[in-house]
Amino acid sequence: MSRWSYYVTGTALAILFLFPLLWSGWASVRTDSGFGAENYARLFTSSNGIRPVHVFNSVVVSALTVGGTLVVATFAGYAFGRFRFPGRDVLFLLTLAILMVPYATILIALYVLLGWLGLEDSLVGLSLVLIVFQLPFSVFMMRNSFEAVPIELEESARVDGCTSFGTLVRIMLPAVRPGLVTVGLFAFLTSWSEFFAPLILLNSTGKFTAILAVVNMRTASHGSIDYAALEAGVVFMAVPCLVLFAFLQRSYVRGFTSGALKG
Amino acid sequence: MRRRAVTGALYATPAAILVALFFVVPLLLVAWMSLHRWPLLGSPKLNLPANYSAIADNALLGSAAWFTVRYTVIITVLLFVVAFGLALLVQNRRRGVGFFRTAFFLPVAVGFASASLLFLGLLSEEVGPLPFSGDGPALGSVVLLVLWRFAGFNMLILLTGLQAIPVDVYEAARIDGATRLQMFLRITVPLMRPTIALVLTMMVTGSLLAFDQFWILTRGGPDNSTTSLVMVIYREAFVRLDLGSAAGISVVLLVLLAVLSSLQFAFLRRRSA
Amino acid sequence: MKAMLAAVVLVLATAACGAEKQGSADDGTTLTLWTRAATESVSKAYADAYNAGHRNKIEVTAYPNEEYPAKLASAAGVKSLPDLFAADVVFAPQYAAQGLWADISEQFSALPVKDSVAPSHVRAGTWEGRNYALPHTIDLSVMLYNKDLYTKAGLDPEKPPRTLQEFAEHARKIDKIGGDVHGTYFGGNCGGCVEFTLWPSVWAAGGDVLDADGRSARIDSPEMAQVFALYRDLYDEGVASPGSKGEQGPTWLGALQGGKVGIAPGPSVWLDAIEAKGVKTGLAPIPGITGGESTFVGGDAVGIGATSGKAQQAWDFLAWTTSEEAQVEVIAQRKGVPFRTDLAANRYSSADPRLVTANGLVAKGKTPYARNFNATFNDPQGPWLTAVRGALFGNPTSALMAGNDAINQSLRKE
Repeated sequence: MSRWSYYVTGTALAILFLFPLLWSGWASVRTDSGFGAENYARLFTSSNGIRPVHVFNSVVVSALTVGGTLVVATFAGYAFGRFRFPGRDVLFLLTLAILMVPYATILIALYVLLGWLGLEDSLVGLSLVLIVFQLPFSVFMMRNSFEAVPIELEESARVDGCTSFGTLVRIMLPAVRPGLVTVGLFAFLTSWSEFFAPLILLNSTGKFTAILAVVNMRTASHGSIDYAALEAGVVFMAVPCLVLFAFLQRSYVRGFTSGALKG
Repeated sequence: MRRRAVTGALYATPAAILVALFFVVPLLLVAWMSLHRWPLLGSPKLNLPANYSAIADNALLGSAAWFTVRYTVIITVLLFVVAFGLALLVQNRRRGVGFFRTAFFLPVAVGFASASLLFLGLLSEEVGPLPFSGDGPALGSVVLLVLWRFAGFNMLILLTGLQAIPVDVYEAARIDGATRLQMFLRITVPLMRPTIALVLTMMVTGSLLAFDQFWILTRGGPDNSTTSLVMVIYREAFVRLDLGSAAGISVVLLVLLAVLSSLQFAFLRRRSA
Repeated sequence: MKAMLAAVVLVLATAACGAEKQGSADDGTTLTLWTRAATESVSKAYADAYNAGHRNKIEVTAYPNEEYPAKLASAAGVKSLPDLFAADVVFAPQYAAQGLWADISEQFSALPVKDSVAPSHVRAGTWEGRNYALPHTIDLSVMLYNKDLYTKAGLDPEKPPRTLQEFAEHARKIDKIGGDVHGTYFGGNCGGCVEFTLWPSVWAAGGDVLDADGRSARIDSPEMAQVFALYRDLYDEGVASPGSKGEQGPTWLGALQGGKVGIAPGPSVWLDAIEAKGVKTGLAPIPGITGGESTFVGGDAVGIGATSGKAQQAWDFLAWTTSEEAQVEVIAQRKGVPFRTDLAANRYSSADPRLVTANGLVAKGKTPYARNFNATFNDPQGPWLTAVRGALFGNPTSALMAGNDAINQSLRKE
């Protein structure tokens, strides 16, 4: 491909891909009289808008989900990538099979289950469910990341007398860092912006996450949509993720290279 | 060696517990529900096989299945072509490639619900900049949304596959006088088979289970032309309040997906072995 | 004064069923009330007024309109319904039949004002002779017309149409103004919108759509065919805005607020929202083809969650909402329609004759009753919308005939 056509095609496509983002940013500050922060003011002050507690809840759920996903997926990835034990393949396939279940179907069953565990209408319960739905991608990613680490690295550590846990923490984790960043990033993205699970699993306004308030803006008054406030909500939800993805680009590209390679 | 197996199993335990508790148990519950007439309140009654035999009479389900298959083909083909094209465009290190990669990947950072809401405004007659009307191409708007949101993600996976192909393979082919197209078909595609298979499996599964995009953008209309299978499950459970019937359809869909995926994997393993 | 009041209350309470039991109905309990986003402001106004004068405290939680039924269903599935929940009144028979609301027959029949509580709403909350819900808000379908466009088209803005044919004539005249002005507008891709605005014309002509227990439909009646034919012509001639075909409901109000629509049937509660955008608006009953008038009595019904352990306290709130204080000082004060027919004329409505017109319609209108109403008529995947689309934009006769069979099947489905 010639230099010239590479730049023209690339630029044209980049504009196409960036356009919706730029448009929503523009639409969120456009007002009747020009430009201003009025739409954001409405987003945060109208009776069904976003409250500080909603943002706080979103942060809590995201932190729990990212932390939980990292711990569980790292252990599982290490186990699948470096150990042989009975039931290994079944468990791995079962984990991937989570992707095959229609979400709408098992939410009620999950709701029942959280009730049994005393976790209904709780941010912890919601986070547990979100972790489970992150597992297929995360475990797959971490297994491949661990497999890609040269076996000699681990063996030299064992010769030095490290326990398997010590090896994992001191030798392996630094080696799979790009994978960890990728897994954490996607766990954050999902937990921060997931809508259906919190809708079904949370019952009280004080527990709601921010996205619920944004979707409420869509339908607040029957018969008209406050598009400007809605786009303000979209921007508010997207900005933290966009910033993180832009900053951590190098890491997750390497994460994918080492992690997603093998089918 | 035994000790190593125990250690491995221990590391896998947290995942095993979560998968068992939050996936296997609910799945069994769904299967159990599919055998019953399951009222919201009150006690369930065994009604085997009514929830399954009703599937055949459900006209909406038939049209939804047909639509879902068509949608899956459209999305899989378009998304794959676009994502592969993007990956080829940005595979080499040259000036500006970082910016292009970021631009294509950035939509991934917008949550799917937010992205759907974004497109609701973008494609609306009232505030949108595009010449669409409310009766515009409903399927087209969903396809646009999905391409925009997921092309970058698939591009990245395909890119890692592309970059894993050793450069000297291409060099050798070039010395032999192979054309660009020949190299693509004889080297790139065969060597990328595992990556391509992974991407295709994810696209097919995701499309067969599509719900959010239709729920927010089209509500299944106009004239049920964008009603997907999962929307029918949703209708059975939450509009008709017939949890048994919803569970029955889910079980069938799940079995079909499992069969499809294992066929895909079996096929793959044989070819790549 | 306070002591006297307390004494009266005590006497009444003792007479009713024992002081202790009654005294504990307002005992400082916190009650949860769920509602859909569209009704949130009314529910909160009720709650604020009730909380100010009672020891009990109502906490309102609103959910997005579209996802609200799913939320209720899943909460019921795990027996964690709120103490009180409101729902679109046409869903009430289904929720009552499923046992989602507690039986309030005894309490309701003891209510002194029970006969003036909107009868069609009360009927909607009834299943097999037992009462499960009371009205919460009332929303009527009426004709809303743009007074300025009426004047511009040479029509008298004080003379709204008295037949549906006249409505079509007015719409055509206004459409002649040209530019981006259109004669009328309707929600052609929204089953709920069409039943809400077209059925009153059928009822006004003496036709019926559903039988009393909601198990068979008559959408293949000549009355229904005439009404659809009229709207179909308006669309074909371009008198109805082209946006009508794709309108799913969410932008319906926005279209009327633009001030470019002459006359359209719509919810009475939008009067304020349209005028707030500077569009001078008239209100008239929805007529039949050659006369008569009727309305679809919509809105929300409210009942006590079947799994709530605080039924007595929850009833204290429900009973209070039927009071004059609630219906006049909360509902009428914010220009709503009181659900008590004896309060149709009150000190707020007398200031605006349009409100008297609206309030007077409650007794004349209907709320259709069917257990499978939502699945059949409101759900976008239901058979009604298919029939509507056929009748308006496809083959009218076969659409209504075939539609009727599909609807009957859906209505009778267990």
